[in-house]
Amino acid sequence: MSQRVVVITGGSRGLGAGLVASYLESGDLVATCSRSITPEVEAWLADPELAGRVLFEPADLARREDADRFVKRVVEEWGRVDVLINNAGVARDGILGMFSDDDIDTVIDLNIKGTLYVTRAVSRRMLARRSGTIVNISSVVGRSGYRGLAAYSASKAALDGMTRALARELGSRGITVNAIASGYLRTEMSHGLDEEQLQQIVRRTPSGRLGEPDDIARACQFLTDPRNTYVTGTVMVVDGGLTG
Amino acid sequence: MSTTPADVERTVVDFLKRLEKLPEGFDATTPLYADGVGLDSLETAELSALLEDELGSDPFSTGDLPQSLAEIQAYYAGV
Repeated sequence: MSQRVVVITGGSRGLGAGLVASYLESGDLVATCSRSITPEVEAWLADPELAGRVLFEPADLARREDADRFVKRVVEEWGRVDVLINNAGVARDGILGMFSDDDIDTVIDLNIKGTLYVTRAVSRRMLARRSGTIVNISSVVGRSGYRGLAAYSASKAALDGMTRALARELGSRGITVNAIASGYLRTEMSHGLDEEQLQQIVRRTPSGRLGEPDDIARACQFLTDPRNTYVTGTVMVVDGGLTG
Repeated sequence: MSTTPADVERTVVDFLKRLEKLPEGFDATTPLYADGVGLDSLETAELSALLEDELGSDPFSTGDLPQSLAEIQAYYAGV
């Protein structure tokens, strides 16, 4: 498999960092962004074995200009985008009746609008080359819901809809679009769930554990494998059987 | 380096050939949509992306919808 140009949003920590690590391991060129740099990103940038294979751009994707600037920099650097993984997202938990306007805006602006901004910019590049693959990192709460996660669940359901629409829109141009509905992972994005809630989820999960970033990364590698052009418009549930 | 009308024409004509939508007698005034070339919305998006890729900017992203090759060339003449 030839070296791909992979864009992973929100790759500075947690699941995003796991995705970046996976694509670096598969030998690809990986560009990522987040609002600020983290020790993980600094380590990749300083690693001589990864020289020239990692690009980091500070960006707040809820701002259209930042999203466009990030994609433009990747194209200037590497000339194209083969794979886009929309991972950047934020969760705010709480009863919706007590939510502030700011909390709603924060979730919607990054999870939906930010994803649309980046995808618009990248899909134009893919259209010009008539090839590419897009994976949206969704969540099982977009399908099943979860108490206290109304805005976040709504944003992930929106990503599933966007996935199906874009798959239809871009399929004739050789571009696949899929989503991964992730189960509950043991990362900092466990959405404010406390240990008791997490243990309850584990008890209800057939595989008997929480997910790891690697579980999602392997599914992502499958969906972005250039041989898998017949898989598009699907939301792959990777949740240890929790919602099966 | 400025974009010449010939650069624009080459990009557009190559694109239309690839789509197998280059009509007999195509010239700078041939309408790009409907009864002219007949570009649909996705093909228009492709042309927009291709122009940006090859020429560094594109008239569609300004909010305009050029109706012909001549209008696309006019955009680059003014850039």
